[in-house]
Amino acid sequence: MSAGWRRFGAWALLAAGLLGWEFLARAMKLSALVLPPPSAVLAALWQGLRSGYFLPHIGQTVLELLLGLTAGCALGLASGVLLGESAALRRLLMPYVVTSQVVPKLALAPLFIVWFGFGMTSTVVITALICFFPLMENTMTGIAQVDARRLELFRMLGATRWQTLLRLKIPAGLPGILAGFRVAVVLALVGAVVGEFIGGSQGLGALIIASQGMMDTPLMFAVLALITLLGLGLYQFAVALEKRLLKSRMTTLQKEIKK
Amino acid sequence: MSFLDMEQVSFTYPGRPDVVQRVDWRIGQGQFHCLVGRSGCGKTTLLKLAAGLLQPSEGRITLHGAPLAPPGPQLGFVFQSPTLLEWRTVLDNVLLPLSLSHKPTSQEVARAQQLLALMGLSAGERHYPRHLSGGQQSRVAIARALVGEPAMLLLDEPFAALDAITREELQDDLLALCRLRQTTVFFVTHDIAEAVYLADRVAVMDCGRIRHDLQVELPRPRGRQIRYSPAFNALCAQLRAAMDGGAP
Repeated sequence: MSAGWRRFGAWALLAAGLLGWEFLARAMKLSALVLPPPSAVLAALWQGLRSGYFLPHIGQTVLELLLGLTAGCALGLASGVLLGESAALRRLLMPYVVTSQVVPKLALAPLFIVWFGFGMTSTVVITALICFFPLMENTMTGIAQVDARRLELFRMLGATRWQTLLRLKIPAGLPGILAGFRVAVVLALVGAVVGEFIGGSQGLGALIIASQGMMDTPLMFAVLALITLLGLGLYQFAVALEKRLLKSRMTTLQKEIKK
Repeated sequence: MSFLDMEQVSFTYPGRPDVVQRVDWRIGQGQFHCLVGRSGCGKTTLLKLAAGLLQPSEGRITLHGAPLAPPGPQLGFVFQSPTLLEWRTVLDNVLLPLSLSHKPTSQEVARAQQLLALMGLSAGERHYPRHLSGGQQSRVAIARALVGEPAMLLLDEPFAALDAITREELQDDLLALCRLRQTTVFFVTHDIAEAVYLADRVAVMDCGRIRHDLQVELPRPRGRQIRYSPAFNALCAQLRAAMDGGAP
């Protein structure tokens, strides 16, 4: 099957799913409160977009997401480099890192509201925290596991520690670091939305809570669709970044998979 | 005066018997010496000692009469595998030793390009290492070791993973490049014919000691016809007997 046909198949499956859902919702006479048909969701989506009702909410979520993602990734990268470089630091801090890894970060959201109050700060902090770990872990692993023969080469060339880090360890660990970024991007969306569930008055997460209060299920679905689109966009961005930065070392097989 | 001078050099990893035991070896300016021996006899360790990557536990090593400087671009080193950086182009890989200390000048870039051209790789300088065959990657590794115009080149079984014909081509390339600038070479191998073809003098190492020392009095430049000459075969047989522990 050619790539064109496969793509067509994927879209056809989506269309069939939506049609089936529409048919079921109408045939079973389900209340729109339980499962609105796609047509109602689309109408709510269109209504919200056209009236500009969604706009500030989207803006708020995107802003929190970007701030949290940037802060979390920067900190994760920096700590990953530190821990990857220093075996002593790793031995000292590893038990704490592992422990903090298993704490469900979202469970800390109420605490952050106590500390930072309702609103954007708490959400940004949760988002940053949730992005921090995949990036730190992958950076640390990537940097600590550089090929011993290459390290010997750099030693032979008289490279300083800083040069070895910048010109060997980070580039060599880049595939892992970018895989961590891809995970972080998806988790960031979870962090932002859940943060808004708990402490937000604006944003897509807050809008879901509001639609629940108003018993407006089509609106809820419409917001869910928006969140999904946002997530897809972010993920595609991460994949494109990966493709671009790793272009020189991708084998044909990897290229095919990434297509 | 000898160029590289090893006197009573020993090396021990803590808690283990000596890997290298009281080795004496001298390499004169511009000479090509090979070191042969079975796997695990301490060849690579001796080479790393000569490079300054390891410090001898006893004895001393001098280069031009002065103690060995810490590793740096003044020595060229070629490892068992090409160890190229797959995210840099071929040209950037060759320039790596220089670019660690400064931005390569246009002269140095030209030199790197010339080295690649001598290796028959000028068309591939903008490519990435994964586009190259194993033999081409080994060529890039040699060009990288030579780009800083080192006075001495150390090689650790650089051609072991290549097929016989590619290996012969690379041996000829290496000889030609080293003659060009009278580079002093210390070459580790386990291949008897390779050692005889390349070297002026061959050291046979066993259990950390140099057991035999064979002069190779074949004319230079050496070409393919030499590989099948009776003198060449006699030397190979002699070297083989030495490796078995017989009289050289």
